[in-house]
Amino acid sequence: MSKYMINKLMRAIEMSDSAVAAYIDNTEGFVDAWLAGGAGPDAVTDDRFLTPDERAAFIARDEAELYRLGAHHYLLWHFIEAVWVHEVPWPQLNERYREAVRPHGYPDYVC
Amino acid sequence: MAQLVMAAATPHNPLLWRTMHEPMPEDLRGVADNFALIGRTMRELDVDVIVEVGTDHVRQFYSDNCPAFIIGKADSYHGTFENEVRTFGMEYCEVRGHRELADHIAGRTVLTDAIDFAVSHEWRLDHGFIIPLAYTTPDFDIPVVPIHVNATLPPLPRPERFAVLGRHIAESVRTWDSDARVALLTSGHMATEIGGPRQFMGAGSPDPDFDRDAVRWFRDGDLDAAIAGCTYERIMAAGNVTYQHVNIIAALAAMDGRPADLAEATESRYASSPFFLWRNA
Repeated sequence: MSKYMINKLMRAIEMSDSAVAAYIDNTEGFVDAWLAGGAGPDAVTDDRFLTPDERAAFIARDEAELYRLGAHHYLLWHFIEAVWVHEVPWPQLNERYREAVRPHGYPDYVC
Repeated sequence: MAQLVMAAATPHNPLLWRTMHEPMPEDLRGVADNFALIGRTMRELDVDVIVEVGTDHVRQFYSDNCPAFIIGKADSYHGTFENEVRTFGMEYCEVRGHRELADHIAGRTVLTDAIDFAVSHEWRLDHGFIIPLAYTTPDFDIPVVPIHVNATLPPLPRPERFAVLGRHIAESVRTWDSDARVALLTSGHMATEIGGPRQFMGAGSPDPDFDRDAVRWFRDGDLDAAIAGCTYERIMAAGNVTYQHVNIIAALAAMDGRPADLAEATESRYASSPFFLWRNA
């Protein structure tokens, strides 16, 4: 499990309009391209990896699974909001999110 | 010597940016009025510099390089981020810095005894800093020394450290060889949850008991109770982003634990908003 990397990818997507659009347009392709990227050996560290479960959760845009895996709650909500709100109106998305994460209580989110 | 003429705490709820406009919705009138009161107080007291204690929301500072306390030493700061423009409708802005006071607070060549500040010369301020300024100094015409305290990515500073920070800011102002009149503006929450099962439940606090206790700490000037009441466990029970409330302890400590002139958890359609104000001149 790599909570740090989950948060890193959520943040990389949510902070950029173009990344949000690209992720929505080709979710699996975006995730795999991100995993294949990163810095070379002569640059500032930019490591990237996800476990198979984490990768699947990103490809499914699955808030419940990312939450269960320990994603940071603040980053997760804004990530989910950014990548779903064009399909699900905000009030319904908010309600859906609350119901999705409720069964998991408050997972350990500390990296 | 310089003078710390006031301390205050405001919310930084970015959802206000789309909703708190004229004609003012009735439920937001109290929030708007309290922001206006604090802004008016800054003008009445001829504030020259603002020291702003807030928390970056994992925009500028992430877990790859996450300071507990960091102070800005830049001449100016950009305001808000692309995702905050998209999500909250915020507008880009520019904020002037104040290098001389930042040097005095952090130390120029050697750090002070009180706080081992990290230092930033290039920092884009997020809504945690911009929203309080936008509503109290809408022209961004008073220079700012921003201090980010990590209240988001554990391990977090203990509440006692926020009191040390507040006392240190007050002492730094008192010993600054300047005629400047300084305000301490802290940015925080009452009980608030984002990204958990209690987020955006509608009007009202996710933990009214916490909010009631917290208002009492500042109304009565009970610094010890504030520190004791802000354990990580209690704060997280109040709401998973409530730790930013602890920023307000810095204001109480800077005012020597004196009761606040205004102490209110202002209710609206959102979680309650912290408004605390101490006049010191």
